[in-house]
Amino acid sequence: MSPIDRAAQLNRWRHRSLTEKTVLTLGMLALTVTLPPYPAAAAVILVMTSAALLGARVPVRVWLACAVAPMGFLLVGAVSLLVQVDATGATLAPGGGMAAAKLALRSCAGVTCLLFLALTTPTSDLIGGLRRLGLPAEIAEIALLMYRFLFLLGDTAMTMNAAQAARLGHADAGRRMRSLGLLIGNLLPRALDRARRLEIGLAARGWNGGMRVLSNRAAVSVPGLALALLVEAAVAAMGLTLS
Amino acid sequence: MTVLEARALTYAYPGEIPALSDLDLTIRRGRRLAILGPNGAGKTTLLLHLNGTLRPSSGRVVLDGAEMGYSRSDLAAWRRRVGLVLQDADDQLFAASVAEDVSFGPLNMGLTEAEARERVEQALAAMGIAALAERPPHMLSFGQKKRAAIAGAMAMRPDILLLDEPTAGLDQRGSVLLLAALAALEARGVTLAFTTHDVDLAFATADEVVLFDNGKALAQGPAETVLANRSLLEAAHLRMPFVLELGLKARKRGLIAPDAPLPRTREEIMALD
Repeated sequence: MSPIDRAAQLNRWRHRSLTEKTVLTLGMLALTVTLPPYPAAAAVILVMTSAALLGARVPVRVWLACAVAPMGFLLVGAVSLLVQVDATGATLAPGGGMAAAKLALRSCAGVTCLLFLALTTPTSDLIGGLRRLGLPAEIAEIALLMYRFLFLLGDTAMTMNAAQAARLGHADAGRRMRSLGLLIGNLLPRALDRARRLEIGLAARGWNGGMRVLSNRAAVSVPGLALALLVEAAVAAMGLTLS
Repeated sequence: MTVLEARALTYAYPGEIPALSDLDLTIRRGRRLAILGPNGAGKTTLLLHLNGTLRPSSGRVVLDGAEMGYSRSDLAAWRRRVGLVLQDADDQLFAASVAEDVSFGPLNMGLTEAEARERVEQALAAMGIAALAERPPHMLSFGQKKRAAIAGAMAMRPDILLLDEPTAGLDQRGSVLLLAALAALEARGVTLAFTTHDVDLAFATADEVVLFDNGKALAQGPAETVLANRSLLEAAHLRMPFVLELGLKARKRGLIAPDAPLPRTREEIMALD
């Protein structure tokens, strides 16, 4: 299973309510987008990183591994603001440094918000939340089944890939392509087969079209929610007065 | 007392030779039945007939003396009484957590949330996986998944539980835990029937054995009788359980009285002097 999923299942805030976590995440994201990036975005980075690492105790290694790709991409994008290119060639853009810093700060703050949510909240909780917000049951069920069976399909694909490699299926580029084609071609019937057996298993337990299960929804903690709102108010006040 | 019977079942998958032909089988209350046969004998196909998933081209399935029908309501009533656990637990566990998955059956039966919750807790405790209730299925070990799948069937409190190769692929510890959990179910009055190709497992754990090959039931009877019949076993491409073979030898040598029951397990036979 993916490290993101594992962190989401095993972090200390796993059983905090979805409401608290989304209020914190979306609130901070809104502040990031609307307030001038300095110092608000810097404060958001500080708050959301500490919430993930110190509050929810997401392993630092996992957090860094997930952060490095989007942040690297955003920083490279920000660097491009430093220069301007015209007919005479490339020159340093006037005010480019400031613009790049602002963009980098703001986008990194956004990433920390999303990382917090992704690393503390299992996908199934998120889908459950969307369901309560009015996502049609059918779509929610299909999304949950996809989430569940993605791991199985992924495992199967990895195993098949290893089996191909063991018989030199990846010896050169041509063979690699051919092996990949065979793998994809084999996954489809397997997936259909599994779907058929899933249906048998569900029917054996009285499936009648709906996928109702008991979910243990965490109760919203008022102090938790209040704290999230308080931190947001503090960041907003600081962002407005110090900018 | 007979609870579930298959009478003259015949079935062929579309365009293939018959997977079951003229098959008879009886499940008696409280008598654990092993459906024993080599790979490809049609064991899984048979189980799928016993809970109404597949419909025979001829023959019938009889539950408590009443022939079962295939209408939606008949099937619902049938599946309440006869639970099924598939060989691959990953085919059965679909929900985001173990507890959610186990609650699926009880809710489909129309129970209230409180009743369903109670059943989930009880089923998880009976299978020894109460601590894993909140885990998603992909974070369970193979043996834990297996027990979670059985808990899902158990929570519906069926009279009869059908298990497809329950110990296949399990390690020693996993098998021991699983067999203990099954014994606990039996103590609550559930009748078990399971498929296997393992003669030793069948002899050690089943009261009755139906010997099965090529879609036909070759014989059904008490485990010590059926599994001592060499020619029948040979016909099904199986051989006599090792413990039984030793037991018969010990009886011949006078180590076991002629009318005493034969040892069933390695431990029992090792205890002989």
